Amino acid sequence: MEEKKKPQIWLSLMSVALFLSIWYLCTAVLKLVPPTTLPSPVKVLNTFITKLSSPNPDGATLIQHTLASLQVALTGYIVAILIGVPLGIMMAWNKYTDRFVRPIFDLIKPVPGVAWIPIMIVIFGVGIQSKAAVVFFSAVVPCILNAYTGVKQTKDVHLWVARTFGGTRRQMLFRIAIPTSLPYIMTGVRIALGSAWVSIVAAELLGSTRGLGFMIQQARGIYRTDIIIVGMLAIGICGAVLTAILGLIEKKVVKGKENNA
Amino acid sequence: MHRRNMAGLVDTLFYPIVSILCFLVLWHVGVANSRLSIVMPGPWTVITRFFQGFINPIGRHTMTVHILYSLMRVLPAYIVGSIVGIVLGILMGWYPAVNSIIRPLYELIRPIPPIAWIPISIVWFGIGEGSKWFLIFLAAFVPITLNAYAGATSVDTTLFKCSKMLGASDRQIFSTVVLPASIPNIFAGLQVGLSASWATVVAAEMIRSTEGVGWIIISSMDTNDVAQSLVGIVGIGIVGFILAILMRKLEDILCIWNKREV
Repeated sequence: MEEKKKPQIWLSLMSVALFLSIWYLCTAVLKLVPPTTLPSPVKVLNTFITKLSSPNPDGATLIQHTLASLQVALTGYIVAILIGVPLGIMMAWNKYTDRFVRPIFDLIKPVPGVAWIPIMIVIFGVGIQSKAAVVFFSAVVPCILNAYTGVKQTKDVHLWVARTFGGTRRQMLFRIAIPTSLPYIMTGVRIALGSAWVSIVAAELLGSTRGLGFMIQQARGIYRTDIIIVGMLAIGICGAVLTAILGLIEKKVVKGKENNA
Repeated sequence: MHRRNMAGLVDTLFYPIVSILCFLVLWHVGVANSRLSIVMPGPWTVITRFFQGFINPIGRHTMTVHILYSLMRVLPAYIVGSIVGIVLGILMGWYPAVNSIIRPLYELIRPIPPIAWIPISIVWFGIGEGSKWFLIFLAAFVPITLNAYAGATSVDTTLFKCSKMLGASDRQIFSTVVLPASIPNIFAGLQVGLSASWATVVAAEMIRSTEGVGWIIISSMDTNDVAQSLVGIVGIGIVGFILAILMRKLEDILCIWNKREV
């Protein structure tokens, strides 16, 4: 498969080049669409570079916006992991926790994180707390779900072996159930990162004074499409970088993933 | 046998009811006896308001009409997004050349959440239905393509080589081996795409709309009516839940040979 892919790189390069040149032709040369609808790629690149250091027109540089979004998203995300993963493990391990928490969890699960935004703003105001709470709600669901599935899929044989050798229930949980469920937990943590990042953008679109979502919403108001595209690219790049970092952590933490997942 | 049925009944009915009742009582007590009551309505208010919403209009329409509006936005765009996604994903998985051409452009779009497209879609398509269709198309298209691609590339090589050895043509291998083998993955993608579409329509309606379940939530923000916001959340949750169940049922019927273990 790898050998087959190599000579195709020029095709990929050509496709990107073709895409960019069509974009350039339609906007800058032929002027088929007005720049307020779609600015040329050169304009977008220029805006990207100037926006890195210039706070115009929305009061903060691209880097400040990015850091503001990251700060809120990571706060909510980390709290969601700290609560969601242990709760999911407990639900899978302890019958009573499962019986009492599961129905409530099933009620909350199908509600998209975005829907919590107005009520969180009413309760916590427009500051960091309300947005972190929205991020928390959207990130906690995959954390619980995957930790639960992971622990539930522990092989009975392994548990029987442990019991035969006189392992206590606590040992069975920490030595067998949790390690074998790590690939699932990490998958949940990865999905949660995606939802956390989506919901912070949504929360900033609706009520905020800082952040990438705020930036693109402001840019729409004044028809600066170039800034919108820069913001979207920044959102995409941040999401991709965060996922890549998590992938590295996953490789370190999870051993023998190939056999399990 | 009879006793096991009883035990099953207790498990599936009794515990959830007790747990949800506990939750409602806690909510009621928590709200009734604290300063929270200024902003938070009790559970009873929300439940009655929810059912009243089906009879008395919220804003200009009843709950049913709001839900129908949102569904009418989701379904056409979701169907188009699924068709494009499945075709593209399978083509990418089957032809390396198509993959090399489409992949870089797809990777450019993939990490951008559909919600981040809202401002530019409003610029491009206005605040009407067009921008919402575009957003939902994206929300459905991205995960479905990915899963269809994964399905087409993860075909068991033994099956593939067997059919080749037995003299099947490329077209035959494609339609009788690759396509059926990727169906489970495609359905996983359809499921993810559907819930993403539902979340996106809510977000899109919250940014700009005059009706729909997202509108119920966002208009409550202007009037500081938290009960209405919770009514909207309940509605969104129930519809999302029903959509997920319908999708799973459809999968059970269409891929009867392949029961996914969930």
